[in-house]
Amino acid sequence: MSESQLIQQAADGDARAVRALYDRYAPRVYAVVRRIAGDDELAQDYAQEAWIRAIRALPSFRGDARFSTWLHRIAVNAALQALRKAETRRKREASPPEQIPVAPKPGDALLQRRLERALDRLPEGMRRVLILHDVEGYTHDEIGDVLGVAPGTSKSQLFKARAKMREMLTASNGAAQDHGAEAWGI
Amino acid sequence: MGHLNLETLARLVDDIPELKEAEHIASCEACASRLEALRDQTEQLRSLPELVPPQGDWQVLEAKLRSEGLIRDPGLFARLGLAETPSWMRAAAAIVIFLGGTGFGAVLTSHGASQRMAALEGEPIVQESATSTQDAAERLRRAEQTYVNALAHYREVAADQGGDASRADPRSRFAALEYLVAASQAAVRQAPTDPFLNGLLASTLAEREATLRRISTQQQNWF
Repeated sequence: MSESQLIQQAADGDARAVRALYDRYAPRVYAVVRRIAGDDELAQDYAQEAWIRAIRALPSFRGDARFSTWLHRIAVNAALQALRKAETRRKREASPPEQIPVAPKPGDALLQRRLERALDRLPEGMRRVLILHDVEGYTHDEIGDVLGVAPGTSKSQLFKARAKMREMLTASNGAAQDHGAEAWGI
Repeated sequence: MGHLNLETLARLVDDIPELKEAEHIASCEACASRLEALRDQTEQLRSLPELVPPQGDWQVLEAKLRSEGLIRDPGLFARLGLAETPSWMRAAAAIVIFLGGTGFGAVLTSHGASQRMAALEGEPIVQESATSTQDAAERLRRAEQTYVNALAHYREVAADQGGDASRADPRSRFAALEYLVAASQAAVRQAPTDPFLNGLLASTLAEREATLRRISTQQQNWF
């Protein structure tokens, strides 16, 4: 079955079609939402909210953009909106970086884990811009649209976020080296 | 020129350096190394993998979607892969499946049903979605064959019990035939030259007349 047929059936409320779309795109949706949320529990709530919005809006999907792009945008917006609401209830503070072991080579699971944990510890404003730009590939104009800021502000936040990430990763490298082989025991 | 700060180096991951910045990086191993590390970091962020949602995520989401009325289970025709067939064909298929179900039911409730049902196993009516019109037509043909088999068993069981089952409840049979006639007439209106549909309509009309005569005869005998 083609994707457009699947989308049509899902728009008609067919549970099996919705499940098929979920199976296909849930990892992508969850990844972007998880990184924006910076928290597992929040991420699940935000991802589910994103899916509910998407399924509700499916009848209006005209296929002008790719479905994955359309869904991704809904997920980003859902997560950002939920975070804004949460901000009114709590103030998140960046905690000091944990001692994270050094990865032996780029691209492996350990390095990814270090990056994910460093991302979680970035201040929210920086994290959003860094994720949208460096992880998800948004332009500064697109980030400006999504976050409601000027492209220049997006750039400035991005450079700060990259620098902060570098500091955290360097600090964790140093701590890991100080702890020697024990630091590998995740 | 002193060392470039991290934010400046972070900018140079994407942007072209100004002349003084370029000269400094070319001559300063520390800044060049830090810029390289920032480029690696950005590259690694771009290749972060997708993340698997927590276990049970779909079940929770499904419950929410159902509670909002956003999803439902597909109907019988969708499960048969017949969702996009013309309405007359769906009506005809409905009759075949309905009567097939009636035949199955009769077999199931009859003496020795389990042995006879064993012969029918392996002929499920509800199957995975069809991939083409030909596939859907083939599934329809198999469903019809299942009905014919079930009906044959039904008659066999009825004969074992000492009577013709088709005579057991002529009024119900007449009502079912009325429905079949209406659907067959609708089908012939859609495809007037189709020999199968015309044959189906003629057979159904004849069977309906025969059943009507049977009902009439029973009433005369009762009086």
